[in-house]
Amino acid sequence: MAQTLFSGDVIRKASRITAILQIFAVVLLAILVSVYVDISTRQRDMRDAVRENAMWSVYQLNRESGELVHDLQLMLSSGNLGEDRLQGLSLRYDVVFSRMDMLKKAQFEKNFAIDVQVGKHLNQIQKIIFESQPVFDAIAAGQPVSLEELQGLDGQWSRLVDSTSELLVYTNTFVSSERAKARIELEGLQRKSIVLIGLLVLSVAFLILTLQRQLRSVQAAGVSLEAMAEQLSVSYQAAEAGNRAKSQFMATMGHEIRTPLNAILGMVELLELGRLSAETSAHIRTIRRSGEALLDIINEILDYAKIEHGKLELERRPVDLQALAETCTDMMRGRAAEAGNTVTLEIAGEWHARTVLSDPTRLRQVILNFISNGVKFTQGGRVTLRMSQTRRKGGLWLRVEVQDTGIGIDEEGKAKLFQPFSQVDASISRRYGGTGLGLIICKEIIDRFGGSVGVDSTVGEGSTFWFDMPIEATEAVTSQQGEKGNAPLVALRRLRILVAEDNKVNQQVILGYLDHLGQDATLAENGALAVERAAAEPFDLILMDMQMPVMDGIEATRQVRAGGGPCRDVPVVALTANASEEDRRLCLEAGMTGFQAKPIGIAVLHRLIREVERELGDDAGLVSAAPPAAVSRPQVAAPPATPVVSAAPVTTPSVAATVSARRQEIAEILGEDGFQELLDAFFEDAVDILAGLHAMLASGERHKLDPLLHNLKGSASNIGLMDISDLSQALRHSDPSPADIDLLAQMVNAARQSLAAQDQTVAA
Amino acid sequence: MRILAHLAVLLAALSVSAPAAWSLDKPTGPVILTVKGKLATPNVGETAQFDLAMLEKLAGRTGKMKTPWTEGETEFSGPLVRSVLTAAGAQGNTLLVRAINDYFATVPAEDALKHETILATRANGKLMSVRDKGPLFLIYPFDLEPGLYNEAYFSRSVWQIKEIEVKP
Repeated sequence: MAQTLFSGDVIRKASRITAILQIFAVVLLAILVSVYVDISTRQRDMRDAVRENAMWSVYQLNRESGELVHDLQLMLSSGNLGEDRLQGLSLRYDVVFSRMDMLKKAQFEKNFAIDVQVGKHLNQIQKIIFESQPVFDAIAAGQPVSLEELQGLDGQWSRLVDSTSELLVYTNTFVSSERAKARIELEGLQRKSIVLIGLLVLSVAFLILTLQRQLRSVQAAGVSLEAMAEQLSVSYQAAEAGNRAKSQFMATMGHEIRTPLNAILGMVELLELGRLSAETSAHIRTIRRSGEALLDIINEILDYAKIEHGKLELERRPVDLQALAETCTDMMRGRAAEAGNTVTLEIAGEWHARTVLSDPTRLRQVILNFISNGVKFTQGGRVTLRMSQTRRKGGLWLRVEVQDTGIGIDEEGKAKLFQPFSQVDASISRRYGGTGLGLIICKEIIDRFGGSVGVDSTVGEGSTFWFDMPIEATEAVTSQQGEKGNAPLVALRRLRILVAEDNKVNQQVILGYLDHLGQDATLAENGALAVERAAAEPFDLILMDMQMPVMDGIEATRQVRAGGGPCRDVPVVALTANASEEDRRLCLEAGMTGFQAKPIGIAVLHRLIREVERELGDDAGLVSAAPPAAVSRPQVAAPPATPVVSAAPVTTPSVAATVSARRQEIAEILGEDGFQELLDAFFEDAVDILAGLHAMLASGERHKLDPLLHNLKGSASNIGLMDISDLSQALRHSDPSPADIDLLAQMVNAARQSLAAQDQTVAA
Repeated sequence: MRILAHLAVLLAALSVSAPAAWSLDKPTGPVILTVKGKLATPNVGETAQFDLAMLEKLAGRTGKMKTPWTEGETEFSGPLVRSVLTAAGAQGNTLLVRAINDYFATVPAEDALKHETILATRANGKLMSVRDKGPLFLIYPFDLEPGLYNEAYFSRSVWQIKEIEVKP
């Protein structure tokens, strides 16, 4: 903490120094500017001072005047007034004239032209020269000049020489004093320059000094920042560790909550298959709904935890948008009907691309969330799912809208909508429930897709939740039946299935389902046992729980694959409540062929078995196409991974189908209730008969078996359970084993469950 | 030496393109300029003498400029010094430019070659009398090269010129 304070101090100090430096730099700049201005002013003065030399010009005038007087006196003394001499004199005069003229007009040193004394002298000189002008004009014109005229000039010109001498002396004095003045000025300038330079040196020195100090404080700040960064890094690591622990805890809790919840839901589903009173049935439905709601909430919280840790991963696989939309509306229809709502699907225009590359699970999650919200907040209205595609920004965009005619949301509410843990208001939370995480999860998902989410709403009229996202068209894939959850359950071949599952209730659920589907299920209570069983006998399918004691599903799968036993190439499907992408990767690496997130429904199991069945069927087809010799020894011809089912009938006729045909017959005569009574009686009897058969086998009284089997065959065929009837008949002519009786019992059980399920659907 | 070479080259060039220059015409009007020294084409004895017409026929220039000796801007025109020297076939490095009153200034021949220096015969289109610093005034191109506007060149700006003596 002390270190932190210190570093803060250093930084504050550094910034103060920086401020001072800035001010100083500005002052320095101002000084520099003033120096520059001064220098450039001087420069201009210097340029202006480029003048003609006054002293020299005056001297020239004085000299030329002297020459003129000298020439004139020579002429006068010699008395020679010849043309040549006169012209020479005239030229001298012109030169003097031009010198005088120049002194009047030229630019000399500063102040010279405006000096009063200079002006007075010049005027006097000019006057003398002008007075002589007529004589010389006459000479130039070639007129004769008298001696007297020239003698008159001599007097005037002596004055001219005196005058120019006086001007020369004055100019000398003037120029000297000007020079002195200039020197004094120059000295002043030098002094000023020295002061300025001194200031500059001072400024620069101070600048260097402060820079040095700042450098020192910056270094200090750097050191303390480094220390702080280290501290922060340590704190961050601690926080990160805490966070990881929290994430792990969340994942574990999710698993721990979901496992028993799946068990509850599974058992409830099984219970619903049985015959129940209306009251119990309603209670059970409530349990299921509540369980499902609880599961939704847990899933939402886990999703949110994932989003918060940036672990939300998206898949990319082909998605049939039309099918997806239909699935969503179908799934919500039941719930909507409870609140008197209808759910409709509108596809606007043609699909640009019906199949796109996306994450179907996440896309469905968002759409279902929107519809479920719409349904939740609408009473006796309509919820419409609308999908459209547009081309813009050079790509394909998908727009999905869910419009409801519900209560609507006000502006304030809208602002809160996509915030975590917020519902529009507390009363909503009390009335409608929910975590308030749904929309934020949707927003995060769509953000990850690169799209945007929004809502338009008017209070009392309803809301439209929408999202826009870029999509990528892809080739349509051959339709996978598995996607259709609600497809009617087709009768299945009896496969040998190994179930590795440690949880007692889950065992019961899966075994119950498989039993219901008429499958031959074997249980292994942990991974090690599963490996053992798989090594001992061939199976057609292995359902493998991920988390088990002794050995987990991944290790078990690895060993089954590596062991080289009869199940080396058998499909292994992972079952787990831990539905993360990481798990999926691990499963595939271990050699698993499929992956199923729990809770596993009966439809999913049905699909899995169908897939295996189809594969086996293909292989069987290959076998039958082979030469007859191979068919006669199928055990040899068939690949080890696909053991041929020989004992069980190759196809089990659909229980529901044969019964419903018989039901129509009987109901026409005895009525629906009568048929139901018959069914009940049959199953009651069957329990007794099967118990009897076991007892007879145990006591060795084999001769008593036949009447019982005959009895069973008759009553079974009576109500259309042809498979039971046929097997009973077949057993009458063979030597039945306890396993055979068990098979018969399983078939009876399966028929009961199948019919109960049918009743449920009829009732619903 | 370099200048000498320059002048020589100049002469050589002229000798090829204009052989007429070898025989400088004799002046017909009053002589206003005499060039003395080492000359390739003298016309009167050892000297080259020019009247106004001869000078005004040579290549020259007109420039409007300020000088320290005139009020306001004055337009000077006249032959380029180097064309006068070329006409005379002068060879040398230094010019002694002499005025009517025997005042003279030493002018490097470089000033005639490097700069568009003229012997002005006219100011504002009028011939200059002796009273107006005529008949010839050495004018540097202050208008083209303001850098020449200083005392060093003022002292070489001789007026009332009567003679140029070419020195080695």
